[in-house]
Amino acid sequence: MASDIEPAEKDATPSSKESPEPTAPAHATSARDAWYPAGKRDLFILRELVSKDFKLKYRRSVLGVIWSVLNPLLMMLVMSLVFSFFLRYDNIEHYPLYLIVANITWQVFADSTNAGMMSIIDAAPLLKKVRVRKSVFPVEKVLFSLVNFLFSLIAVFIVMLWEGVPPTPMMLLAPVCIVLLMLFCVGLSLLLSALAVFFRDLIHLWSVLLMAWMYATPLFWPVSMIEQVPYHFVRVLMYVNPMYNFVTFMRDTVIYSTLPPTEVIVSCVVWALVSLGLGLLVFRSRERRFILFI
Amino acid sequence: MQDTLKLDGGGSVFLGLSSTSIRVGDKLEVTPHFRGVEKENFLCNYVWNLEGSWDKGDFDSTIEHVGHTIPRYTWEFVPKRPGRYRIAVDIEDSNRRFLGNIERWVIVAGKNSFMRPPVPPADAPTAVLAQDVSMIFNIASEQFNSLKEYFIAAAKHELTFKEFRALDHISFEVKHGEAFGLVGTNGSGKSTMLKIIAGVLEPSSGKVSVSGTIAPLIELGAGFDMELTAKENIYLNGALLGYRKDFIDEHFQDIVDFAELDGFMDMPLKNYSSGMVARIAFAIATVTEPDILIVDETLSVGDFLFQQKCEKRIKELVESDNVTVLLVSHDISLVERICDRVCWIEKGHMRMLGETDEVCEAYRSLERD
Repeated sequence: MASDIEPAEKDATPSSKESPEPTAPAHATSARDAWYPAGKRDLFILRELVSKDFKLKYRRSVLGVIWSVLNPLLMMLVMSLVFSFFLRYDNIEHYPLYLIVANITWQVFADSTNAGMMSIIDAAPLLKKVRVRKSVFPVEKVLFSLVNFLFSLIAVFIVMLWEGVPPTPMMLLAPVCIVLLMLFCVGLSLLLSALAVFFRDLIHLWSVLLMAWMYATPLFWPVSMIEQVPYHFVRVLMYVNPMYNFVTFMRDTVIYSTLPPTEVIVSCVVWALVSLGLGLLVFRSRERRFILFI
Repeated sequence: MQDTLKLDGGGSVFLGLSSTSIRVGDKLEVTPHFRGVEKENFLCNYVWNLEGSWDKGDFDSTIEHVGHTIPRYTWEFVPKRPGRYRIAVDIEDSNRRFLGNIERWVIVAGKNSFMRPPVPPADAPTAVLAQDVSMIFNIASEQFNSLKEYFIAAAKHELTFKEFRALDHISFEVKHGEAFGLVGTNGSGKSTMLKIIAGVLEPSSGKVSVSGTIAPLIELGAGFDMELTAKENIYLNGALLGYRKDFIDEHFQDIVDFAELDGFMDMPLKNYSSGMVARIAFAIATVTEPDILIVDETLSVGDFLFQQKCEKRIKELVESDNVTVLLVSHDISLVERICDRVCWIEKGHMRMLGETDEVCEAYRSLERD
C-alpha cells in the first residue's frame, strides 16, 4: 500500500494504553531496566547455579553440610587404618594428615573434572532455551567443588589438632596452590566438557583414566617410592604429573611448613596456564556447534 | 483488491481509512481521496461487509443517487462485531457510469483482544536485522550399530551427511516499535529463525544483529529444578534470563502476585501442578518490559482465568510503543490483528515479505488450495 498518504491515518489510530507496569509501585529499578549488561550477568548466574547445586546436594539429609567435613574425615580414617595395617605405610610422619591433605586435593580435582565434563551435556535443556555463556557451566562445577573443598579444610584442621601439628605462616601459601589448582581444573573441565559433547565415549574413558591417575599419584603411598620405579621415563612422568605437584605443594605448606621446591611451584603454574589455555582454545572453537550435538 | 483507481485525465482516487485496525465500537472514517481531478465530478457508493458473511446480512451500503444535492465523500463505519471487514467504494462518473472500485481490508478486534501497535516512522532505528541468514543441519543418513561399521564406512568415505537447510538466505529488518510476524506452515523454519534471533542458535551463514533487550516468550521456565522451592527457582530462572539481582528482589512480590501463588513460595516445585509451574514461568518472563518481545503462538498458560490475564499482559506489552514484537504463528488471524509487517517463510525459503494484509492474503490463498 502506498505510504505517502494521510498523516491523519496514524493520528487517528486508537491510542494504545500507556501503562506498561500496572502493578509496580515506585521501584528503584524499572521494568525496562531489568537486565545486567551482557558481560555482567555471568557472576549472578554462577552464584545461583552454585547455590542450586549446594542446596540439592544436602537437601533432605539430616546432617546436611556437616557431611562435607565428615566425609573426608571418615575416608581418611578408613584409608589410614587400611594402609597402616596392611601396607605398613605408617612410617610416614603424620600419616593421617599426609592422607587427608592429599585426599581432599585429589577429590576437588576428580569432582570438578567429572562434573565439569558432564556440565554441557547436562545443561542441554537449558542451552536450547536461553542464551547463556556456555562456559559458565564447567566453571560453575569447579566452583562448586571448591566450596566443598573449603568445608573439608575444617576436617584438615581437626586432624592437625589431633596430630599436634601447629599452623604456621607457611600455610598462607596454600591458597596460592588452591587458586592454581582451580585454574587447572577449570581448563581441564572446559576441555573435557567440549570434547564430551562430540565423543560421549570420553565419559566412560575418563573414570578409568582418573583411577589410573589416582594410583600414579602419591596420595596414600610415600613420595619416596617414586625413586624405586625402575624406568627413568616413568619416574619423569610421575614427577611431571600435575597432581603430584599440586599435592606436594599442599603438603609442604600445610604439614611440613616448608616452601615447596621451585620446580614444584613452577610446574603448578605451568600446568595451570597450559590447561587453561588449551581448555579455552578448544572450548571457544567448538562451543558454537554444541547446540547441534546436545 | 486495489486501493487506488486511475481516472481519466491523469487523476486518481485512493481509499483513505483512518485506521486499518480498530476495536468493536470504535469509529472508522472512510474517505476517498481524489488527486488531480475535481471530486464533484464523481459519485461514490460506499459498501462494507464482513468477510464471508454477505449472506448473513452483515453488510451495509449507502448509495448516493444521481441528483443528490450534496454528494457525500466521507462515511463513518462503526462495526458491531469483530472480524475482517471489506470496505469498498464504487466510483462512478457524473453520468452514473461505473468506473471501478477501490477497496481495503479492516481488522476489527473484540473489546479485549489484541490491537496492532502504531506503525513506527520510516526512520525508526533498527531493532532486529537479519542478513542473508541460512541454517543448515547435518542429519546422519545412516545409523551405525557398531564402531566397526563406522570405521569401515569412514575408510570407504561413505560417511555421508544429509544436509537439511532449515533456513535459506532469509533477510529482513524490523524497526524499533514495530510488530513483525513470521508465518509459515509447520516445520517451515519459523522457530529456528526465532531461536537465532534469541541467540540460542547460531546461523550457519549470514548475520543477525539485535539491538536492545530481548524477552523470549518461546521457552518458559529455563533451568527450573523441581527439587528447589518456587522462590529459589525464580532467582535461578531470573539469573539465566539475565535479570539483575536487585531487580528480582524488588519485583519478587509482583511476580508472586501475578502468578497468584502467594504462600506457596517455599514449596518445592515438584509439589506444584503443571499449571502452577507454567504460571510462575510466565510471571517471571513478563515482569520486565523488554525492547524486543518474542512471542510464540502458545501465548497463554494455565486455566482460562489466568489465560485471560496472560493475554492482557502480552497485550499491554504489544501495544506499548517502546516494544518491538516478533510474533510467530500459523494462526493467521492473530498475526493479522497484531502485526504491521509479516515475513512468510515456507520450507526455509522466504516466500514473501511485506505489509500484513498483502502477505496474509497470499498465505490464505495457499490455505484454500
